[in-house]
Amino acid sequence: MRRVSLLMLLYIFLMPSCALYMQAGTVLEPPQATVSGTVTDTSGNPLAGVNLVVESKRIGTISGLDGSFSIQASPSDVLVFSMVGFKPLTVPISGRDKIAVMLEEDVTQLGEVVLNAGYYTVTERERTGNISKVTASEIEKQPVSNPLAALQGRMAGVNITQTSGLPGAGFNIQIRGRNSIAAGNDPLYIVDGVPFASDPINNTQTSGILGGSISPLNGINPADIEKIEVLKDADATAIYGSRGANGVVLITTKKGRSGKAEVNIHLNTTLGRATRSMDLLSTPQYLEMRREAFANDGIEEYPANAHDVNGNWDQGRYTDWQKELIGGTVHRTMAQASVSGGSNGTRYLMSGTYQRENTVFPGESGYQKGSVLLNLDHSSDDGRFKLHFSGNYVVDDNDLPAADLTLTSRTLAPNAPALYDDHGELNWADNTWNNPLADLESRFSSITKTLTTNGVATYEVVKGLMAKLNMGYTDTRMKDSRILPSTRYNPYYGADSRYSVVYKGIASRASWILEPQLQWQGRAKGLKIDVLVGSTFQQEGKEQLGLYGEGFSSNHLLDDISAANYIDVNRNTHDSYRYQAVFGRVNVAYQKKYILNLTGRRDGSSRFGPGRQFANFGAIGAAWLFSEESMIKGAFPFLSFGKLRGSYGTTGNDQIGDYQFFESYGLGGVNYDGVETLVPSRLFNPDFGWERNDKLEVGLELGLWRDRILLAGNYYRNRSSNQLVGIPMPGTTGFTGLQANLDAVVQNRGVELEITSRLWDSPKFKWELGMNLSIPKNELLSFPGLETSTYADRLVVGAPLGIRKLYLSTGVDPATGVYRFRDYDGDGVISAPNDQQWIGDVGPDYFGGIVNSFGIGPFALDFLFQFKKQQNWNYIFNGSYPGLMSNKPVDVLDRWREAGDNGPIQQYTTGRNTLAVQGFNRYGSSNMAISDASFVRLKTISLMYDLPNSNDSGMDCTLYLQGHNLLTISGYRWGDPEFTGGGRLPPLRQITLGTKLTF
Amino acid sequence: MIKQRLLFKLYMTLWLPITVGCTDFVEMELPPSQLTGEAVFNDPATATAALANIYASLRDRTLITGGSRGIGNILAHYADELDYYGSETASLHDFTVHSVLATNSEVATLWNDSYNLIYACNSILEGLDERMSLPGGHRAQIKGEALFLRGFIHFYLSQLFGDIPYVTRTDHMVNATIGKLGASGIHEHLVHDLEESMELLPIEYVAADRVRANRFVAMALLARIQLYFGYWEDALSATDVVLGATGQYVWEEDLGNVFLKGSKGILWQLSPGTPGNNTLEALTFIFEQGPPTMGALSQSLMDGFAINDQRAVQWTKSVTDGTDIWYHPYKYRARGPSGSSVEHSVVLRLGELYLIRAEARMQLGDLEGAMADLNKIRGRAGLPDLAGLNGEELETALLRERRYELFTEFGHRWFDLKRFQKAGEVLGPLKPNWQESHLLFPIPQSELLANPDLRPQNDGY
Repeated sequence: MRRVSLLMLLYIFLMPSCALYMQAGTVLEPPQATVSGTVTDTSGNPLAGVNLVVESKRIGTISGLDGSFSIQASPSDVLVFSMVGFKPLTVPISGRDKIAVMLEEDVTQLGEVVLNAGYYTVTERERTGNISKVTASEIEKQPVSNPLAALQGRMAGVNITQTSGLPGAGFNIQIRGRNSIAAGNDPLYIVDGVPFASDPINNTQTSGILGGSISPLNGINPADIEKIEVLKDADATAIYGSRGANGVVLITTKKGRSGKAEVNIHLNTTLGRATRSMDLLSTPQYLEMRREAFANDGIEEYPANAHDVNGNWDQGRYTDWQKELIGGTVHRTMAQASVSGGSNGTRYLMSGTYQRENTVFPGESGYQKGSVLLNLDHSSDDGRFKLHFSGNYVVDDNDLPAADLTLTSRTLAPNAPALYDDHGELNWADNTWNNPLADLESRFSSITKTLTTNGVATYEVVKGLMAKLNMGYTDTRMKDSRILPSTRYNPYYGADSRYSVVYKGIASRASWILEPQLQWQGRAKGLKIDVLVGSTFQQEGKEQLGLYGEGFSSNHLLDDISAANYIDVNRNTHDSYRYQAVFGRVNVAYQKKYILNLTGRRDGSSRFGPGRQFANFGAIGAAWLFSEESMIKGAFPFLSFGKLRGSYGTTGNDQIGDYQFFESYGLGGVNYDGVETLVPSRLFNPDFGWERNDKLEVGLELGLWRDRILLAGNYYRNRSSNQLVGIPMPGTTGFTGLQANLDAVVQNRGVELEITSRLWDSPKFKWELGMNLSIPKNELLSFPGLETSTYADRLVVGAPLGIRKLYLSTGVDPATGVYRFRDYDGDGVISAPNDQQWIGDVGPDYFGGIVNSFGIGPFALDFLFQFKKQQNWNYIFNGSYPGLMSNKPVDVLDRWREAGDNGPIQQYTTGRNTLAVQGFNRYGSSNMAISDASFVRLKTISLMYDLPNSNDSGMDCTLYLQGHNLLTISGYRWGDPEFTGGGRLPPLRQITLGTKLTF
Repeated sequence: MIKQRLLFKLYMTLWLPITVGCTDFVEMELPPSQLTGEAVFNDPATATAALANIYASLRDRTLITGGSRGIGNILAHYADELDYYGSETASLHDFTVHSVLATNSEVATLWNDSYNLIYACNSILEGLDERMSLPGGHRAQIKGEALFLRGFIHFYLSQLFGDIPYVTRTDHMVNATIGKLGASGIHEHLVHDLEESMELLPIEYVAADRVRANRFVAMALLARIQLYFGYWEDALSATDVVLGATGQYVWEEDLGNVFLKGSKGILWQLSPGTPGNNTLEALTFIFEQGPPTMGALSQSLMDGFAINDQRAVQWTKSVTDGTDIWYHPYKYRARGPSGSSVEHSVVLRLGELYLIRAEARMQLGDLEGAMADLNKIRGRAGLPDLAGLNGEELETALLRERRYELFTEFGHRWFDLKRFQKAGEVLGPLKPNWQESHLLFPIPQSELLANPDLRPQNDGY
């Protein structure tokens, strides 16, 4: 829909000039009369750009901005008016010379929106399942380099958070909540029909700064994406069987359109900065805290390592470390060029993109990405044989420091010494500190090359029967290295290049898939039947090689690991995964009113032991288009579309890693007495199987006033059982977890609402408003034997999975100045687990987005507000007690100082007061470590301007200005409220200026 | 068109049988980088590699590692051997000022990593029992070492945590709910494991440089265990046997050679993983400029050296910035790589054996014999012989000799203070936080949550 109106917009602003041109060029034969008039919509607004053809002559024109037209025709001719989004209208002239035409909006627009459901397509109107979609026009409105970032706030039921603000970092995505206690909660990604493994392949030894994970989805260029569809309910996901439990994300790349070759050039540049710095203590406040802490602990003479207060450091000095260390500006430049076109038989699109950016940290570091996309479509003259090929190659080059300075910037003493000395060298201040910039001496770099190819051949054997073969191959190759030169050490250690260390990783993953399918479509007496059967064979192989080199004769040789004195191959793994399935679908539609959709899959995965590989999954979906019932049509004339739909079915989850059912030993990566060590891999359990997820959904969809307002509401209830978990084990078992199925049931249910409305729709001004809201509820339904299990103190039946059992703070003891807690078990002692009975939940209560799109003449303005109601950990969680040599938020100023005080913060200590340390430690595991972190964020704002084009250049030019994360309204004061990873660089605030040229 | 029909037929003929036919497509073998448990214990080389994992882990990361997270460094700060100069936010600070809580992550790591190695020992023992295909000599050697290492790790855990589970199987059903044993139960298991180990292990070393256990190594550990648990006679007899093996073990008279890898006074040492490297202890303790950034030998330790004690000269080294002076341990001198390695981490050496015998003799009333053993140690340090001490004086002298002979070696000082009930007297004035309950570390809170049978928590936590 949105796409349609956008096309209209484009159409309208391009057409006036074209219309003139066409009028001038139309040569008519006499005897003819001039017929003129206006075209309006049903509410009387003039319609510009309406196609108007004289039926007998095949000549035509286009209505002007005010809806007027004028054409030569004979009085007996018939005029045909047509326009996208409106019903075509045939008007006999019947001798008139003035004609007023009113076009009716086409209420079957929904029928034209085709959704990709993976193995088949379905129209928005006839779908029985739950499928959400984001198109290129929405993706282009935000300056993102990972496709998942484009979905944030735009889809109901899809909760996405970024794991770091650094380029190349990953995203957490949960579609309808957390289903699995311990197995993966990632959806299945399918790019152009080919499964795309989303788990990182890098060696965590090399990529610490990104939290060990580099999102492979960076290997897909957002600018090359035509649309992203997310499949949510059983009806849509059951055909993916064992891999559909957490939803399916379908990514489709752009295709060529037939016609004259069209060249698109797209350039933009972005500035970005870290946002939401913490309000930390100033030097006088900080020093006061330190001195008071020592005084509280009864220490009069400051110890030798208390450089901040013992006189070693200048006590008058102040540095805003957040500004100094993470206050840089990111510059990003993106350039894309594409050519597309073709004949009716063959279409092509070729696109190339290059992007580069630096980081907020001081010094040189950066990220570059280049990609090429090629899409080819061919169909035989009779249209029975079709061939599609897409190839996508992305090179992602990430060159980052080996450490994230965000945490340091928030904890470094404000009077810590200068970073550089007078000679411009790193300042070590007589060994009194670890210069944080020394971390930047170490470097992390990775180059990832991702090739995704897909070929589809279809052949119409007889009318209605299609044979199809889907083939895919993906290949990801990554080289990464972490270089730790001796210069990262304080020169005091006297370390030379003999202490330089290099880690190198080489990883690759290749996967092929083969999916032969048969599709049959038949119609009879109001009945439409679609049948699909197919099978899947997939194999994925993964290899990792890890090298460690130590001791170099010079630090200039660190890029060449063969120069190391000692080289060790510490990792050389080969994993493979094989997957096989048969699947099918039967869809029956009667009179376009009653639709039944049956899907099923039987699949097998090599991740399970003998006898446990195969399982069956399936779903039933149904829809009733009640707005087609004549009774309802008569009773509710404003109701242009009404559908009630529901589905129920079963999917599975096999995200547990390969070979877990084997009892095995793996290489330890170290050497003893000349022997490479062998390490037991895991606790042995061969008897585990699929995790099962039963999904139920009902939905109501309404279109009002000719679909001017579209409403969709869903209720879903997913129950995940036979939980595949790494059951946490006590350390005495030798491991911290065991792979097994657990007889527990997790339920996710919720309500999702989506509204789209064209509030105003005229050629001069358009206003479209979209809203989505998700209210999820996660709950552990049952867990037999929970009390005696290792989960006894982590989970509660009836509560969400993400809870933590915490102490309940009862404030500061006015006498001792130490935190107090409720003694739940009344034994007079505060201890875990008995007194940790307060349940904290950091999952979202509700979230959603509001999209506003305005079109004013050649301007298009878009806003996306994202909102989330949630609680999150605050600075107290995982923090250290105030009083140590570590800066703190200004919150700590309101503290207990002497008997009788009851400030919210307990007395400062340097760690010599065990009661206070213990008090703080419990405080960090209490209700006080959780704060409201709800927010409303202006996620995206985009202003586009279509330059008026001259008559004959044929060039279309658009300028745009986009903002990302410009404004966040939140009561959460300790960094980014959305962000869950403490100590990592939060998502950046960005402004982008760009231009698009089409000719 | 005909061609296309043909293609379709081909497509159907290929597809249908494949789809219906092969279910073994998803059956999988292990990849080349992993071995089944069965394969590991059919081959002496791979079985040895499984054992090497335990030695390497003890060297690099667990319990007695010479790195900064090992008990050698932690307990030196927890007791009175090292003063701390590092960051207050580092975990070592918590140990230095005695504010170790049940949630302390280093304590949890000590616990979990130790039991992980115990699992590795048990996996080897069960693997050897199930698969008899390994040649007898290899079986006895590997089994003897696994038993020795299982006892060694349990011994340290019991000293750090008090009552602990003694884990002898890999079965997680049993180990997940295993309860704690008291001192006598632990002692019984330790003695059983070490005696069986001694029966299996040969007198000779199976590897060069004494980097793997032989019968005397097991016996020396048994002697220490018997001493710690108060079985003086057993400690004495075991020590006598080891000290009697003069063919293998020779008293090193030169202090500067005691820690060289070729020293004949060494019973068991851990070799570095990288050829040409030396010990982690040297990297942890030695600093070349002042002020130090982690630990330096404490004032009380340096002040307490007797005049002429050559260990102050040979085993410590001073560093000055012009105004202040600091000392670091210098038992291990080779810091970082050298052409070929000169020092390994010495775990058991003759010096301790003499001190064990001295203590056992003292406890059994043989004061003269005890003094003779102490004089062996003192003589090498250039100190005059002791003579005519009474019981109380001897105890003071013994404790002192242990302090100066074994400083910064795997927490000997801490265990001595604990065993002689002197911790409060010595550490009370130095550590404002001192409590008697600090004699034991807390059982990690996460473990108490995961296995309620480990409750109650140690006192005071």
